[in-house]
Amino acid sequence: MALSTFSPSSRNRFVAVATALLLGAASLSIPSSAQAATLFKVATSAAVTTWDPIQSFSTEAFYMTNIYEPLLWKNPDAAADDYSPALATSWNSSKDGKTWTFKLRAGATFHDGTPVNAAAVKASIESSKAVGGAGFIWDPLKTIDTPSADTVVFNLSYPAPLDLIASSTYGAYIISPAALAAVAKDAKYYDSGKDGGSGPYTISSYKAGSSVVLTAYAKHWADVKPAYSTIDISITPDGITAQQMMTSGQVDWATNIPLTSVKSFRTNNKYKVAVYKSPFNYVGYFNTLRAPLNNPVVRQALSYAINYRDIVKVGGQGYATQARGPVPAGIYPFDKNIPQYSRQLAKAKSLLASAGVKNLKLKITYASENSAEARFVPLIKDAFESIGVSADVQGILFNQQWAAAKKDPANAQDLFIVKYWPTYSDAGVDNLWSLFHSSTKPFFNLSYWKNATYDKLIDDAITLSGSDKAGAQKLYSQAMNILFTEAPGLYLYDESQVSVLPKKFIIPSYNINYPFSAFFAGVKLAS
Amino acid sequence: MRILWKRLSSALLVLIGASFITFTLARVIPSDPALAYIGPKATAADAERLRVTLGLDQPIPIQYFKYLGQTFHGNWGYSLSTKQSVLKEITDRLPATLELIFFAIGFAIIFGVTLGVLAAKYRGRFQDSLIRIISIAGVSMPAFWFGLLLQLLFAGRLGWFPATGEFDIEVKYDNPIHKVTGFPILDSLITGNFSAATNGLHHMVLPALTLSAYSFGLLSRMARANMLEVLSQDHIKVSRAYGLSERIIFFKLALRNALPPIVTVTGLSIAYLITGTFFVEQVYNWPGIGSFAVNSLISIDYPAIMGITLLAAIGYLVTNFIVDLIQAKLDPRVGMR
Repeated sequence: MALSTFSPSSRNRFVAVATALLLGAASLSIPSSAQAATLFKVATSAAVTTWDPIQSFSTEAFYMTNIYEPLLWKNPDAAADDYSPALATSWNSSKDGKTWTFKLRAGATFHDGTPVNAAAVKASIESSKAVGGAGFIWDPLKTIDTPSADTVVFNLSYPAPLDLIASSTYGAYIISPAALAAVAKDAKYYDSGKDGGSGPYTISSYKAGSSVVLTAYAKHWADVKPAYSTIDISITPDGITAQQMMTSGQVDWATNIPLTSVKSFRTNNKYKVAVYKSPFNYVGYFNTLRAPLNNPVVRQALSYAINYRDIVKVGGQGYATQARGPVPAGIYPFDKNIPQYSRQLAKAKSLLASAGVKNLKLKITYASENSAEARFVPLIKDAFESIGVSADVQGILFNQQWAAAKKDPANAQDLFIVKYWPTYSDAGVDNLWSLFHSSTKPFFNLSYWKNATYDKLIDDAITLSGSDKAGAQKLYSQAMNILFTEAPGLYLYDESQVSVLPKKFIIPSYNINYPFSAFFAGVKLAS
Repeated sequence: MRILWKRLSSALLVLIGASFITFTLARVIPSDPALAYIGPKATAADAERLRVTLGLDQPIPIQYFKYLGQTFHGNWGYSLSTKQSVLKEITDRLPATLELIFFAIGFAIIFGVTLGVLAAKYRGRFQDSLIRIISIAGVSMPAFWFGLLLQLLFAGRLGWFPATGEFDIEVKYDNPIHKVTGFPILDSLITGNFSAATNGLHHMVLPALTLSAYSFGLLSRMARANMLEVLSQDHIKVSRAYGLSERIIFFKLALRNALPPIVTVTGLSIAYLITGTFFVEQVYNWPGIGSFAVNSLISIDYPAIMGITLLAAIGYLVTNFIVDLIQAKLDPRVGMR
């Protein structure tokens, strides 16, 4: 062989050098951390749409509930009390439910050092109501009086459960007057990660789309200070990557473990898997403007074709239950007596035949970024095909799906799959109203369904819920029965919240009333 | 000078063309940028107000010309999802991506060309087959899949390398990096922060290997083919007849002559790596342009998409220009035509 300049010894040298480089890199020590005792590292998919607590209406609630405080926190169902005091320590309502008085906590301050007082509460809630977005929760509010620095009186135009409204995830935070003034002057005030809260943590660093660092607020009113003074949060949209970060020890906790990976954690003794009820509910809107879907019999037929058991199994990976309408189990005004559709192919075919429908072809849209929808929507197509209805499935980004549905309802999709959750823990005011109450211009009622009886029941129930919750429940239940009979939507499943928790830490339980939130002040080392 | 002027004008046309196509596509797909900005549960009135503020109520051609004018004045708009200036987002994230590309192309050149030359030397033997298998695997394996495999093996099973990120989170508290050039590993070295530098290099290994896989395979096959072609040429035979040593023939004569096409492919590879980072940064949670691009695409953040497209187009043009200069230097027959 002519080309013999590479001797075996030089080859061995090359292998040795390469191995040394690889092992050298592998043995690089990770620096020991002086912060280790006070630093808690988290990976989450929670994006920040806005840092403005009034505009906030999305996944940034994950951070917001640590930075801002409402007047009250709503406890999970199992708790002894319905509410925990936050910035208000006591509260009461008049007999007619139209006047609510809140006594504020003494010594609470905002992160800028100014006191939390009645004027700040009034300014915050009036701003929230004026701005829109989640401000609709304050619809019953007429005026706010501040008879003293620590007393706030809410005067309502109709009775409403103001304790529930004041504990909302969105639109109910109390904000520093300085921050309110700053954002009035400069709409981009919050964009760099400034805050005007009074919560146990304040934002100390924010890299958009990449990381958030929260630091404990030393002057927070709580007697027990957070065990971790620094919470370093890596924004990690991909669940598998977050999982790798947690199992390799790069972060202490990952909040977005994919459902498909949960099984592997059940057999790992370093972690425990906790399953809770969540406010997330999957619905499919039928386009009731178009024939033959404008016929309730056809919608019923399609509802009877669905294999709900398989959809729960595939979409929710078993961590779900078949829905009873658009109100998720665990959220008011859920009613376990509302009937459910089940797969009855013969009945479905017979209903379809009675409506004279043949060769029906439907267009189904779903949000492609939602992996659960991507898993279960093909089962809807299969179910429809089993009764002779063909379907064209389109997975598109939610923004596109929604924009197309609102633009031209008469020529839009036939079935729109959506994951929905209430703004605060009242699915009567939100889910039942937003999803199916008639409106002149479609916003979230994308079945475009109009039913005067249903509208009246919902409107009456909303007005009654502040003074007679049981009476309101009856009206809501009647309305939900109409939704079952008229079937403007497919009621698919209520998703469970599955948390994979490292046993090394004690992490506060999931609270269904704050579905995107993690309360870091309660995180502790287990031993 | 005339050639340079000509190249610059054609580059400008390419940039305008790329911006026009991206702008039009971003606007004709059914989506609502205003709702992407304020969130899906905002009221219709809020969304309408924002549409006017962002100029989305104006005809598309007017929006485009406004965008073009602002871009030339350094205003690349504001990202709908992060609410930050697109130019700032890009300049903040670019150093992390460029460092990743630097190490990836470094891996690809060193190992790709070396193995390609070795394959030529051992043509038809076991070593040649082994290198062929590795090279083809590099070219054909999707980056996101290869990245996940490396993560599972070297981070998950063996624990040799960190699974994700540019540095350990502790680095920013224990050994914070002081900004000099903006390139984090380089800055750690310049400022003598060797703990951060070694940690950064440790984090770099898996993403750089993943990103380099395609270029490595390509360069390896290219180097082998070119070396074999050059080695079969008459002037090599004559050199052998004159008794020149194999080392001189191999490295001084053959490799030098085989280099120009390899330089071209390297240039194209760098351009490929710019878009290759989209997948790799997502898998490794790398805080660079690639992950920003993916998140922008998912949220239909059209100002960010426009900015990234322009950046990628500029990257391609600059890389190709530099490759042309190097080629002209290596091979005088290749002029700046």
